[in-house]
Amino acid sequence: MADKFESLEQQLELFIENTRQLGIIVSDFQPLGQGQNVLNQKINTMVSEMQEIEKFRPLLQDVHVPLEVFNYIDEGKNPNLYTKDCLEKALEKNEQVKGKMDNLKRFKGLLMVELTKVFPNEMNMYRALKGEDRLK
Amino acid sequence: MADPLRRPEQISPRSSPRDRGSRSPACPRPDSTGTLKTTISLGKNPSVKHTGPFYCVKDIPEQSEITGSTNLLHHYGLEHSYNKFCGKKVKEELSAFLPHLPGNIDTPGVQDNSSLRMLIEKPPITGKELSQLSGLALAGFRLHPGPLPEQYRMMHQMPSKKKKHKKHKKEGDKGNALSEAQTVDNASDAESRKPKKQKKEEEKDKDGKKKKKKEKKKKKQKHSPEHTVSHSGETGS
Repeated sequence: MADKFESLEQQLELFIENTRQLGIIVSDFQPLGQGQNVLNQKINTMVSEMQEIEKFRPLLQDVHVPLEVFNYIDEGKNPNLYTKDCLEKALEKNEQVKGKMDNLKRFKGLLMVELTKVFPNEMNMYRALKGEDRLK
Repeated sequence: MADPLRRPEQISPRSSPRDRGSRSPACPRPDSTGTLKTTISLGKNPSVKHTGPFYCVKDIPEQSEITGSTNLLHHYGLEHSYNKFCGKKVKEELSAFLPHLPGNIDTPGVQDNSSLRMLIEKPPITGKELSQLSGLALAGFRLHPGPLPEQYRMMHQMPSKKKKHKKHKKEGDKGNALSEAQTVDNASDAESRKPKKQKKEEEKDKDGKKKKKKEKKKKKQKHSPEHTVSHSGETGS
């Protein structure tokens, strides 16, 4: 799977390099030289490279990209920051939920103790019921 | 002895502290499965049989392996990724992620209509066959002598990197402005600055080394027996 991404990346880099060279040819045009012919060749190379990139489309149909990454790229930010933010948010949420669960367990323990003091018989029945339910 | 089974009147919703006051049948009742455990039988001998011990005792949900309290990063094997992305400092610029791309890619895409959002909102026309251009089509790309418009001149040039040293900040800004206008001069300036920088760095290194050597000599002299003897001799006299 990583191979197709690498080959696509290489193809895109070639395309971008070709486009860059086109820009140089256009900006540094010499009427007496072979600029026009070279430009025509480069344009056709661009078309053939687009055809090569088009061939990658069926291989990448199942690749899903989160839309939030596009916001980062459009702002000129590193997309690795999105991954970093996701991991940090996941960890933060994980810690929050763990804290809630730990506190609820602690509360349950304290509540059981206090209820046993006030309603001993009922709590014995409750524990017996809980035991049956767990076995189920 | 206390009757372990409570009377149904005590368990009915009417007597529950939550449901004080009237509740009309038009209002949708909340889900009460597992809360009211009684069976009411009508007929000759109507009776209300108590089937559960407690009101509000719901069935316990099944325990799952993964809960919110498990370390999810460890569970899914993302510790290495976490250390890689969050342990080290990640550069904010897009050019740090794509260093080989020409041009200035750190600017927002909205400025030059090159944003990916626009690509999603207004997708281009696809499905047409890509074919090589004929001679007639290529005639439209005929070049003419003359300068390029200013907005298109710097598009293929790489942006010069910002210098970290504060001293060279002002010089760097001026140098950046000049370098953007002249690509050849930029390359030659960079090459000429390199030996100067190297010389300065070498001089600094030499000075630092000299200082370290001097300090080491002083330490050795302090701890050497000759120094202590001479020192004690001087104090004694």
